[in-house]
Amino acid sequence: MKRRTALLMAGTIMATWPMLGRPARAQDSQIDWASELGKHDGATLRILMIQDPWVSGFEQLNPIFEQLTGAKVTIDAFGYDQTHEKEVLEGTSQSSQYDIIVLDSPWVGEFWSGEFVEDLKPYIEKTKPEVIAWDDFVPAFQTVAEWEDTIVGVPFGAYFMMMHYRKDLFEQAGLQPPKTIDDYKVAAKHFTNNPDFPGMYGTALNNARGSAIGQSFFEWIFNFGGKPFASTYPGSENPYSDMTPQFNSPEAKQVFEFFKEMLQYQPPGAESIDWEQRAATFTTGKTAMITAWSVRTPGFHDPSKSQIADKIGTSVFPHIEGIDGVPPLGGWVMGINSHSNQKDMAWDYIKWFTSKEVHKQFVLLGGPPSRLSAIEDPEIRAKMPWVETIAETQKHVYAECRPRIPESFEIIDTVGLQFSRALQNQVTVDEALAELQTSIADLMVKGGYTVQQ
Amino acid sequence: MVSRTTKLLFIGPGVAYLAIIGLFPFFYSLYMSTTSLNLTRPRRSQFIGIDNYVQLVTDPLFQKAILNTAILAAGSITLEIVIGFVIAKIFYEIAHIRTVNWLRTLFILPMMVTPVITGLMFTYILNPTLGIANVLLRMVGLPESGWFGSADVALLSVIMVNVWQWTPFLMLIMLAGLMAVPRELYEASALDGAHWYQQSWHIELPALRDVLLVGAIIRLIDNLRFFDVVYIATRGGPGDATEVISMFAYRQSFQFFNMGYGSAAAVLILFITLFVTTLAMRYLRRIEHG
Repeated sequence: MKRRTALLMAGTIMATWPMLGRPARAQDSQIDWASELGKHDGATLRILMIQDPWVSGFEQLNPIFEQLTGAKVTIDAFGYDQTHEKEVLEGTSQSSQYDIIVLDSPWVGEFWSGEFVEDLKPYIEKTKPEVIAWDDFVPAFQTVAEWEDTIVGVPFGAYFMMMHYRKDLFEQAGLQPPKTIDDYKVAAKHFTNNPDFPGMYGTALNNARGSAIGQSFFEWIFNFGGKPFASTYPGSENPYSDMTPQFNSPEAKQVFEFFKEMLQYQPPGAESIDWEQRAATFTTGKTAMITAWSVRTPGFHDPSKSQIADKIGTSVFPHIEGIDGVPPLGGWVMGINSHSNQKDMAWDYIKWFTSKEVHKQFVLLGGPPSRLSAIEDPEIRAKMPWVETIAETQKHVYAECRPRIPESFEIIDTVGLQFSRALQNQVTVDEALAELQTSIADLMVKGGYTVQQ
Repeated sequence: MVSRTTKLLFIGPGVAYLAIIGLFPFFYSLYMSTTSLNLTRPRRSQFIGIDNYVQLVTDPLFQKAILNTAILAAGSITLEIVIGFVIAKIFYEIAHIRTVNWLRTLFILPMMVTPVITGLMFTYILNPTLGIANVLLRMVGLPESGWFGSADVALLSVIMVNVWQWTPFLMLIMLAGLMAVPRELYEASALDGAHWYQQSWHIELPALRDVLLVGAIIRLIDNLRFFDVVYIATRGGPGDATEVISMFAYRQSFQFFNMGYGSAAAVLILFITLFVTTLAMRYLRRIEHG
């Protein structure tokens, strides 16, 4: 049944391909894929990626690549931590099992230093500029894909964190979507324990120990006017030149205290919820607003997955009054496994999948818009009105919002542990921050970074 | 008379198998524990002697993991013995009922569920917002709980899941022990006017002591390597409330890829396990020899 459905979907897309694939600009249609791509009859291309909502977009588009090249494409998708674990183990064991590795932005430095992925610069140079159209990618996301003068992956899944709110409830309450963190607090308070909104809670944050709350710190710190490391801030010439942690700053304390304060406006058990669970509180109508990566936005609007599909508005991520906000940027790039035996086929797939015209189809199938042409595309805008918020958000994002150095995963997890301990009152905020200041400084010194003692 | 060569030929494959599967990884782990090896930065690896062990014993998270593991093991095994005994006694008393075999099979079902599935199942059941557990508490007018989400009760919730899954194991062992108690002892004690609790204390528990100790040692080893439920349900959180030693070693080795530090933790865990089980075995032998 599942196979039949997949075949039916593939057939539908292929039948409507010329119509769906109507390019935003005339030059796109000039790509002659038959000559651009090699023939790979009988070969199997294997991709390793996270099980995020866009996997079905890949599965629906892959039959087209299979028809063009004769190759078969298979996808293995896992949860977030498991994807990282599997990809590193594949890399360290020099396995050729996978040809394409889909990696998250904070892993870029780690994967390059571990020699798990190829430098894609030579591949890009030998490809027609109109096929790769590098400048069309969201500028900050171009930076995300680069490391030490190399290109580690080609962007395809840029995530922008946005505020998602219930239009109907905000209208009823006479509130505007929150622009500042104070607005966010006021709105969250208003919807919690309010007889006009029975059973409703203000919001839900990413509070679970580990990557969830660890990443949250990096998402919010810039929006409180702070920075995680001495030289990591928008506009910094070298974001990793001085890695003295800034956990002893007032802004870091404000982030911790903000999370503690907001707990009272969240559903019971919110201390341990992560991306999936807090999204569930929103789509089941239990919370009035949540900040969430734009990759979830199509699902929020899908009536088969959301009870509030037609009641959602989006706005730019909030920040404190008087500063330029830095909405969190994340997302995925596609790299070639440096131990793959089918690198040419892997590159054929990457350049095809990330090209303007296929990317547009990917977005229409629920994929995250990562190209300026897709963000500005009238057809996409008409079908997905929230892309307007992405267009505004992408102007303010910072590529180093989460560190991309090899130690990134450990930094985020360590921050996540102490942040969670403070949230649960196992330690005070000051104790947690003091512990972080020491432990992250030790980690940076061990990694050979400059740390001012 | 079997020749020495023949003996060696028979023993050889087993010894070789053990050396490859058991000894080589152990000595390699021992070697790695003396280095600063990180899989994603292998070129920076250096020999650092016992530094990893020194850091480990002073690491507050590792200390917390040892404490949590001790609480988990003590709490789980105690509850499993108490509940297991009560249920074993019930099954013993209703042994004449025809459907008892079916009931027994039903009761041991949790033991057959994969621990990962158990973790997932209880993640849903104990979800504070959407789970059935809080709905039921609300229905009977009791306060709701944060379960895995609250640092105060998270470890207790993990113990509860552990007890749910493994009480049947100790129950089966104790039921077998009870079946072996001679009927005459009950009859004689009844004639002497002993109450049921006196029979339990003076007849059944001494009879069960040996099997119970074997069962408890097996469960102790299980608890020292308890991982799946914590991995699925709490990841050691909230905070460090459910951090156990196996989770600590896993995080260092397979999330941070600090193979040196993670190996040191694994070696230390092995020695702790050996120490505790040796103590328990000695105690068992002492009992056996009166």
